[in-house]
Amino acid sequence: MVIHDIVIIGGGLAGMRAAIEASRAGLDAAIVSKIYPVRSHSVAAQGGINAALKDTDSWENHAFDTVKGSDYLGDQDAIELLCKEAPFDIMELEKMGAIFSRDPEGRIAQRPFGGAGYPRTCYLADRTGHALLHVMYEQLVKHEVVLYDEWHVVKVVVEDGTARGVIALELSTGKLHRLHSKAVLIATGGYGRVFRTTTNALSSTGDGMGLALDAGAELMDMEFVQFHPTVLKRTGILMTEGCRGEGGYLLNSKGERFMSRYAPKVQELASRDVVSRAEQTEIEEGRGVDGCVLLDLRHLGADKINRKLPQIRSLAINFAGVDPVEKPIPVKPGAHYSMGGIRTDFDGATTVPGLYAAGECACVSVHGANRLGGNSLLEAIVFGRRAGIGVSNFSESNGLLPFPATALKEAAFEVADITKRDSGESPAALREEMAGVMEAHSGIFRDRTRLTDGLRKLRDIRERFKGVALTDRGDYYNNELLQVIELAQMLKISEAILLGAVEREESRGSHFRTDFPLRNDKDWMKHTLVSLKDGEMKLGYKAVTVTKFQPQERKY
Amino acid sequence: MVEVELRYAYYPGCASQEMTKEANETTRLVCQRLGIALHDMPKANCCGAGLLTDYDYQLYLALNARIFAEAEAMEMDIMTICSTCLMVMSTANRDLKADPKLLEKTNEILSTAGLRYNGTINVKQLLWVLAGDYGLDNLKKKVVKPLNWIKAAPFYGCHSLRPSDALGFDDPEKPWSLDAVIAALGGEAVQYKGKTKCCGFQVDLVAPETAEKMTAVRLLDGKEKGANAFVTPCPFCHINLDNYQGLAEKRVSQKISMPVFHLSQLVGLALGLTAEEMGLSRHLVSPEKILK
Amino acid sequence: MKIKFKIRRYNPVDTEASEPYIQAYMCEVPEGMTVLEALLKIADEQDPTLSFRKSCRSAICGSCAVSINGFSKLACNTQVIPEFKKAGEMLIEPLANHTPLKDLIVDFVPFWRKMEKVSPYLTPAEGESAPAVTPEDEERVDRSQRCIMCGCCNAECNSLAIDENFIAPAALAKAWRIVGDVREGNARRRLHRLSEEHGMWDCVRCVHCTQYCPKDVAPLKAIEELRSSAMKEGITDNPGAKHVEAMRDSVERFGRLDEAAMTFKTLGFLRSLGMIPFGLRMEKHGKLPRPHIFAQIEELDEVKKIYEESERRAKEEKRELASRKKGW
Ligand SMILES: Cc1cc2nc3c(=O)[nH]c(=O)nc-3n(C[C@H](O)[C@H](O)[C@H](O)COP(=O)(O)OP(=O)(O)OC[C@H]3O[C@@H](n4cnc5c(N)ncnc54)[C@H](O)[C@@H]3O)c2cc1C
Ligand code: SF4
Ligand code: SF4
Ligand code: FES
Repeated sequence: MVIHDIVIIGGGLAGMRAAIEASRAGLDAAIVSKIYPVRSHSVAAQGGINAALKDTDSWENHAFDTVKGSDYLGDQDAIELLCKEAPFDIMELEKMGAIFSRDPEGRIAQRPFGGAGYPRTCYLADRTGHALLHVMYEQLVKHEVVLYDEWHVVKVVVEDGTARGVIALELSTGKLHRLHSKAVLIATGGYGRVFRTTTNALSSTGDGMGLALDAGAELMDMEFVQFHPTVLKRTGILMTEGCRGEGGYLLNSKGERFMSRYAPKVQELASRDVVSRAEQTEIEEGRGVDGCVLLDLRHLGADKINRKLPQIRSLAINFAGVDPVEKPIPVKPGAHYSMGGIRTDFDGATTVPGLYAAGECACVSVHGANRLGGNSLLEAIVFGRRAGIGVSNFSESNGLLPFPATALKEAAFEVADITKRDSGESPAALREEMAGVMEAHSGIFRDRTRLTDGLRKLRDIRERFKGVALTDRGDYYNNELLQVIELAQMLKISEAILLGAVEREESRGSHFRTDFPLRNDKDWMKHTLVSLKDGEMKLGYKAVTVTKFQPQERKY
Repeated sequence: MVEVELRYAYYPGCASQEMTKEANETTRLVCQRLGIALHDMPKANCCGAGLLTDYDYQLYLALNARIFAEAEAMEMDIMTICSTCLMVMSTANRDLKADPKLLEKTNEILSTAGLRYNGTINVKQLLWVLAGDYGLDNLKKKVVKPLNWIKAAPFYGCHSLRPSDALGFDDPEKPWSLDAVIAALGGEAVQYKGKTKCCGFQVDLVAPETAEKMTAVRLLDGKEKGANAFVTPCPFCHINLDNYQGLAEKRVSQKISMPVFHLSQLVGLALGLTAEEMGLSRHLVSPEKILK
Repeated sequence: MKIKFKIRRYNPVDTEASEPYIQAYMCEVPEGMTVLEALLKIADEQDPTLSFRKSCRSAICGSCAVSINGFSKLACNTQVIPEFKKAGEMLIEPLANHTPLKDLIVDFVPFWRKMEKVSPYLTPAEGESAPAVTPEDEERVDRSQRCIMCGCCNAECNSLAIDENFIAPAALAKAWRIVGDVREGNARRRLHRLSEEHGMWDCVRCVHCTQYCPKDVAPLKAIEELRSSAMKEGITDNPGAKHVEAMRDSVERFGRLDEAAMTFKTLGFLRSLGMIPFGLRMEKHGKLPRPHIFAQIEELDEVKKIYEESERRAKEEKRELASRKKGW
């Protein structure tokens, strides 16, 4: 058994940022990550990170845009913190070594982004997440943070209601290890993989949310899933909003620019949820092309495509085998971001003492029902830092409590239970089925029947999951075993999404109910809470905090 | 068919004017036989062999632009017989052609010497001229003594293949030109993994152990696949594979005894030129035993 | 299109087959499918025991580098059909120059250790505020910061293949990312360290790293930048820098690799007699014969003028940078 002051699960932006803070506080923090930190999916963020830096902008403007974007479900005190502290964190990132793209005067350049009333998105070309993640890794090396990479956390150990450490599977040996600590921080990122089409990495399986539920913490606002309108069909790779920004068209099978029927004024440039819904309608009503619509850039000409969208061109060529100069790109909506997550306070504390969370897996909540582009990297940095301080303070004022003697044995038993089964369904097939159910029943259009059908199917899968069996009997880099462990968490997350969605009888942000197409502020200015009691999920609610901005109709 | 006269500004490179003289001399003989006109470049300076790039990039660009300016005045593309010269010049040329600002800056430096480069030159290598401009079919027609005795390991080395965005002639993953020339001459090209890899030349003096091991690994690789000789388009590769073969043998405590030909020598032999004319006695590992 | 995938399998703890072997899988490949997708499909539908690394599937996380038909590539941005058509087969093996652990998974620990060895983080000058970064400053290090740490370059590195202690291109690209940053306060010390044995001068300039980098980092370019920065800092007390200096002087004086060529040749000749230590000793003492039997090029004064002007500019640039750094 190893002992650290703090164990951080996840080496993405949020996890590493927290580790650095703990290390600065002189504490012994260790990161446990199922993939090497620089492989974390923060690396894929392209667009940028928001902060009100200029004199002509203000944190209040940033906060208003964020509140409005959240469709008034975001907690306004949390949003104020996020926006107030953003400029500090941007400067901090530069001090660490990042070089944000410059304007001709040598100041940090800022670009306009959807839903923002001011160009306040800082960026590093179209590789913002990559650059920030690598800078954070550099700091990790500098601070000599202990790293357990390719260790997969299977359990957060809780005894008498407080977190005591974790149990993790070392992939290269197949051994389970105990990591004993005063506090645990979960920073495991998003769960995009519960949907079939997603912009998220293969590793974005939302493990931490499942771990938190098991540990007795609450999930919040899980029904809010952001769908991005233009992703590649087979791979789910993102085609940035810039494609439409530069003048690209969306066409259906008849060659019509169908957006003219849904948003006559702005057409393709309507907000993400509107475009996604329009595409989905076209596809469901039989005007799709092989389950997609077409993103047509041909009229922009090779020259403009090469100058403004070079990355998109190479992605389309390399990943879809389509050169957008010659052919339109088949695209469809795909799951992109999880607004919900583990409920925390401003310092990352969950409802379980000693258990903290930050980043996409957490819900503070700053994104409410819909997140603005550029705000989630910011969340990972600001609340990663704050949670790092929070968890440090906790472990400074609390001693090391004993690690329950039976915890390892129990975890080993659970793993053995999976590996010992002689025959059963294939985990891969079941995973595909789950992703299909979520896409069909909990996607862009929801209604009570679709959702309850989905829930029924999902519960059936959950039952059958108890009988899945492995083909791979080795204990050494056993990817299939990991898949089963991930699938167990994804099934919980899926259920939480569906449960929240069935009950929320209104349309708000990303959650669109065809049977309740309007926002209902009278009954639903509240967060959905999900917790696990005796193996069953329970729903609860909590009022939204409103400070400065009273709800208005959300029009762009 | 209309016979187009091929003519080039000829840039042998420093190594083949001294240490591997035979490469230069045989190239001239062979080109004469084939009707390829080589025009000397009396002003041409050293390209820097990659080393000047490590000193100062701008100086390297300017010195190479000076070479190009001379070729421009001759109204001819450049042909070299050294892969390193090829790579060094092509890389400079790529950068200058791609970036008008850089070209301008470089021309400002050149102007102090009263020179200017307009970006109109291409740089080629004997291998490419044979496999491309001259053509394999034409080459075949000139063969009088087919090399049916040779099982040659084609050693492309690094700088005739990479960086491919600057060179652009052959495919670095599936190079064909040297194989094709060997076949056109009636020989057999042996396939082995190391044919696109490095001879180690650049660190002969800096990290001799690395260089010698590398040379040995390459030669042994070809030998194992049944080669009775190596052939290379580059004098630097030749220095390592032939001159330093003894050192390589010592380093790995293994006898290799692999004769190594310059490309031009192989062509010359097939055209009916003699072993003396091809300067074969200058090699450290004698090819005598396999010559027919 | 049905394609046969030949995959190198390896599981050292498998008692029945502990040596590597090739296993073939037939896989239906639609237009546009990547090698990674095919591997996932094979693992899902045919053989879940097949192990490989992956995550982002969009060429940005650096997990999935493997050897495809003999060359290092990202599985996720290599399309199967064109690759198959070109190579005539589909052979997938673990990255070269790395120790295989299981199937396509290789030991990356040496890769990370090399990274750590170059202290891959900014260390600004103590007690001074950061200078403003200009767009040119950004551009200077831009290519080096595109690195995704996939290891393709190291896997292809000819020098690393021979000397496992060679610091290798990925870490050198990172080193330049830091050394080339205007805000860095310890560039000199770093360049000294990089000039040590197994350091930046051990690169054989095979250009494989630049050719096979999937992100256009051009590690060799970074190495050249590092070397020329070291030379400009006067860090020349090593054979690599000496070699360059000799070349520089020779070209300035003769327009050609003359004197240096002679050094070379003599050294080389002695070496072929197995007298390297002797030759090196003579070289150190400047006692090596240096006959000038070489004809000078014509219009040598042009070369001299080019040298003068280039060096004047280089000095000016250096002064400018130094004054900017002082002005912080
Ligand atoms: C394609 C794409 C583009 C985006 N673009 C933008 C943008 O432009 N601007 C913006 O603000 N946001 C953007 N986002 C969102 C943003 O990138 C993410 O929300 C954010 O990076 C999440 O960071 P994180 O640290 O929470 O999680 P991640 O970076 O996903 O890290 C998760 C970590 O947890 C570890 N982990 C997970 N499970 C376990 C386990 N069981 N055991 C051990 N370790 C585990 C993983 O190894 C990983 O290290 C984008 C997202 C995507 C998918
Ligand atoms: S050029 Fe140098 S660093 Fe790059 S692969 Fe070759 S030897 Fe290695
Ligand atoms: S330099 Fe290129 S090849 Fe090397 S690790 Fe970085 S991205 Fe990969
Ligand atoms: S899976 Fe991330 S680079 Fe290929």
